[in-house]
Amino acid sequence: MNKGQTMHRVAVALTLIAVALIAALPALSDNYLLRLGTMGAMYAILALSWNIIGGFAGYPSFSTAAFFGLGAYSGAILQGAGLPMPLAWVAAGLIAMAFATLLGLAILHLKGHYFAIASLVVAEVLLEITTSWTSLTGGGMGLNLPIIRISIDAQARLFFWSMLAIAVMALGMNYWVSRHRLGFGLMCIRQNEDAASMVGINTTLYKVTAFALSAVLVGAAGALYASWVFYIEPPDVFATLTSVKPIVMAMLGGAGTVLGPAIGAVLFLAMEELVWRNLLQIHAAALGLLIVALIFFLPGGLLGLVTGKRKRRVVAKKGETTSNSAVKGGAA
Amino acid sequence: MLYAQILVNGLILGGLYACIAVGFSLVWGVLNVINILHGSFVVLGSYVAYFAYVHLGIHPFLSIVLSGALLFALGYVIQAGLINRVIAAPVLTTLVLTFGLELLLNNAVLVAFSADYRAVQLANPMGSQIIGGIVFPMERVMATLLALALTGLLYLMLAKSKIGRSIVAVRMDPEAAALMGVKVKRIYAVTFGVGALMAGAAGSLLSVVFPISPLNSTEFLGIAFVVCVLGGLGSIAGAMVGGLALGVIESFGALLIGPQHGLTIAFSLLILLLIVRPTGIMGRRGYE
Amino acid sequence: MRRSPSRLSVPRLSASRLMLPAAIAAGLAAAALTAPAAFAQETIKVGAPLPLTGALSPEGLKQQRGYDLWAKAVNADGGLKVGDTAYEVEIVYVDYESQTPRAVQSAERLITEDEVNFLFSPFGSGAAKAASSVSERYQIPTIAATASSPSVYDQGYQYLFGTFTPNDTLTTPLTDLVLEADDTIKTIAVYARNDLFPLAIAHEAEAAAKAKGLDVLSFDEYAIGTMDHASALTLMRTRQPDWVFVTGYINDLILIRRQLADLGVAPKVLSMIAGPAYKEFIEAAGPLADNVSSAAWWHPAVAYDGDDIFGTTADYVAAFEAEYGATPDYAEASASAAGAILGMAIEAAGSIDPQEVREALAQMDAVTFYGPVKFGETGQITSLEPPVFQIQDGTTKVVFPEAVKQTDLVIGGIK
Repeated sequence: MNKGQTMHRVAVALTLIAVALIAALPALSDNYLLRLGTMGAMYAILALSWNIIGGFAGYPSFSTAAFFGLGAYSGAILQGAGLPMPLAWVAAGLIAMAFATLLGLAILHLKGHYFAIASLVVAEVLLEITTSWTSLTGGGMGLNLPIIRISIDAQARLFFWSMLAIAVMALGMNYWVSRHRLGFGLMCIRQNEDAASMVGINTTLYKVTAFALSAVLVGAAGALYASWVFYIEPPDVFATLTSVKPIVMAMLGGAGTVLGPAIGAVLFLAMEELVWRNLLQIHAAALGLLIVALIFFLPGGLLGLVTGKRKRRVVAKKGETTSNSAVKGGAA
Repeated sequence: MLYAQILVNGLILGGLYACIAVGFSLVWGVLNVINILHGSFVVLGSYVAYFAYVHLGIHPFLSIVLSGALLFALGYVIQAGLINRVIAAPVLTTLVLTFGLELLLNNAVLVAFSADYRAVQLANPMGSQIIGGIVFPMERVMATLLALALTGLLYLMLAKSKIGRSIVAVRMDPEAAALMGVKVKRIYAVTFGVGALMAGAAGSLLSVVFPISPLNSTEFLGIAFVVCVLGGLGSIAGAMVGGLALGVIESFGALLIGPQHGLTIAFSLLILLLIVRPTGIMGRRGYE
Repeated sequence: MRRSPSRLSVPRLSASRLMLPAAIAAGLAAAALTAPAAFAQETIKVGAPLPLTGALSPEGLKQQRGYDLWAKAVNADGGLKVGDTAYEVEIVYVDYESQTPRAVQSAERLITEDEVNFLFSPFGSGAAKAASSVSERYQIPTIAATASSPSVYDQGYQYLFGTFTPNDTLTTPLTDLVLEADDTIKTIAVYARNDLFPLAIAHEAEAAAKAKGLDVLSFDEYAIGTMDHASALTLMRTRQPDWVFVTGYINDLILIRRQLADLGVAPKVLSMIAGPAYKEFIEAAGPLADNVSSAAWWHPAVAYDGDDIFGTTADYVAAFEAEYGATPDYAEASASAAGAILGMAIEAAGSIDPQEVREALAQMDAVTFYGPVKFGETGQITSLEPPVFQIQDGTTKVVFPEAVKQTDLVIGGIK
């Protein structure tokens, strides 16, 4: 246990140092690098948020794109109506959270593939509604956001730091959940939902809370993204890939861990950038290959490799409740 | 008369939808795998039909044999070589795996055939027949009828043949089937192959209706999803009912609410159905 | 190799960060840009973010063919002559996967990382507009080969130029022509894809029809990805319009054309934008393509004697056919024209300094294989007269303007 605590402290310290280093990125004054940094922070937000419902609770959610798009359009419309930018971001996060709560009440009783499909189709429905509701959203013509009257470089820094701040919040949220009763409850649900409910865990409450948490920061990130690129259109913000990529990132780093999704997001961005740069027409195939390789050779993610949690899935399948993570959660 | 025409339009479309979905439904039901590759399988079937027609002069309605055979082989190999290895893993794993394979396959198709839209231009177009004031576009009607016939054949195969019985047995209870001497993994591969075969055959039939391009794969996949959830999983009858229902709903929705809302209606219905009746119209308890 | 120059180009970045007056910033930018170019053995890099994969990939590949042909022609000719130096042209492509934000990201990457001297806009009005803020910020002259919406150009930007005239320059002549040919045409039905360009052009068609006193029976939109149009077209049949005007991309239009025939909708005039200009449309629609009318910004049948690298329109068409074995369409020609115009501006400026090339573009008044080129105040081309054409017996025939017209518009004959 002592050794574990030391490890834990080291991990927290290293994380803080890494965040501080990343936050100093604007010192290099390379706008493209800053753009990549903003993108990386955004990826981390999406992956970490998905981790709450997908990693901890084990529900295969594909609704990240729905929350993201909803946030982007809410933020854009509110900003267009005159709400100051930061308030629009906060409002977008809350709207996404409220939406996730209602949606969660409706679909979280579904299991497995049924839940996956329901969550996937939500983004499609929102996409169609956004496209059809021309008077509010501009429909297929897309939506322009108000131009910000500050210098280009100040903008680049503003969006980078804001996105990073939300990413840190997402990391904090994962840390908090993992050490809180909620995280323990979610892990029980992942391993055996019926049993969890029998030992007195209010599974509906836990799942809906997790779903709402997995939406709030994604919604805010969507709004920030809209402000950042000035122009959004339905197929971009509701893209299915926006739902799938965070899952790949989380699996890459280690789903159900606190740091894994963030590490996965950074690695994913690096790979995407390399592949994208060097393979003009076959980067989709390269991404596909990465996914396939991940499934076969790294099923527990990178952190799983380090901490030896690769067996977790097998254990979970047998329905035992004594895996590493559960014990740790119980002690917390 | 207008409503009768819309109903006919919807039923013809629905038959095509059913044919797109039936293989997807079979794989989902028996293997508990959502095959994201399905849309690209349909597209590949269309390409086989296109090239067979342009270069060999084989009518697309006959090339279903060719596209079915090729796609069966591809499906069998993918299942036996890759998916079987993770078939026991959680839902998310197989889902993400087929998604990765779809990115690979679709990109390969794009590079091989380019995204330019092609169309099979029949030398002897069948035109339209007007019966009782209702227009029947014959190419679509024939494609739909053939689709229904193929689906019937699949139903017979599952009900009567030895391999079909094994597939049904594995769907009911893989462990019991294994005890009875069924080679479960082999049946999985055959089932996946049959699913791909149906997709390929559907692709051949659709080649006379829709322009062909790798970009269509997501649309086909979306239809397969909706049809399966509408009709209920894994049963041939479910896919038929789901397909016809979707075709009719979409047609009347476009008429009554406006053509830009056709897809919205279909997807909203899907969510609603998932929430209140996840087992579909046909109401069989799904295997989760 | 690509990365090292970016670390050295600190003066340019710091200049823009300090927000010095535009002239000084441009001067520094020029210094920073010309320096690596001199080391790179007289190569001009032009960045081209294109949708090479994803929904727009057919369009992206057309653009690429057009740009490649220009670069090949210039390099075969010994490069662009600027003073005593000859510059080879290198086009740096990035695939933005048909995602607009990715297009913006690509534009910034091309400018800051790949250090391109000039930029071609991403495809279509939406993406061109979104990316224009980046090139404006870095003061990189940018040519949009496929952006027609005036809203792209009215942002007060100095560095953006476009080779497409506004959408109404397509619909107004078409409307005039149809009504001149047959004054019994009184009603029109419009059917549009709910997407940036198709919707915009449909609204222009509606406005042009109303201005001429036509009765607009219906204006329906269909969603992106619609796989069946039977209901909308059945309804259209009951309304019996004289003229049917459909907008969308080539896959939509092939499907709609077939379903119109299936359901026996046969108006006197059937117009479709933007697909019939592509040979793939005629191949895919077969006999059904006959008598479909359309308009585009260019057509291989126009005849201009250009001062640019390609010479006459016929020369360009021949060069294109020799390279790709196919007749160029307006999208491919517009991409080549964007290159040709940029080349002329560079040679006229006698420099590759962005500011001077921008001035040369703004003052350009020349004839190219593509047509006369003169940009308006906003940077959008004003000199072009887009041809109206009709498919007759499997080939496209120009019916307007008078100067290049091949035949008369035929009314009727829609199967």
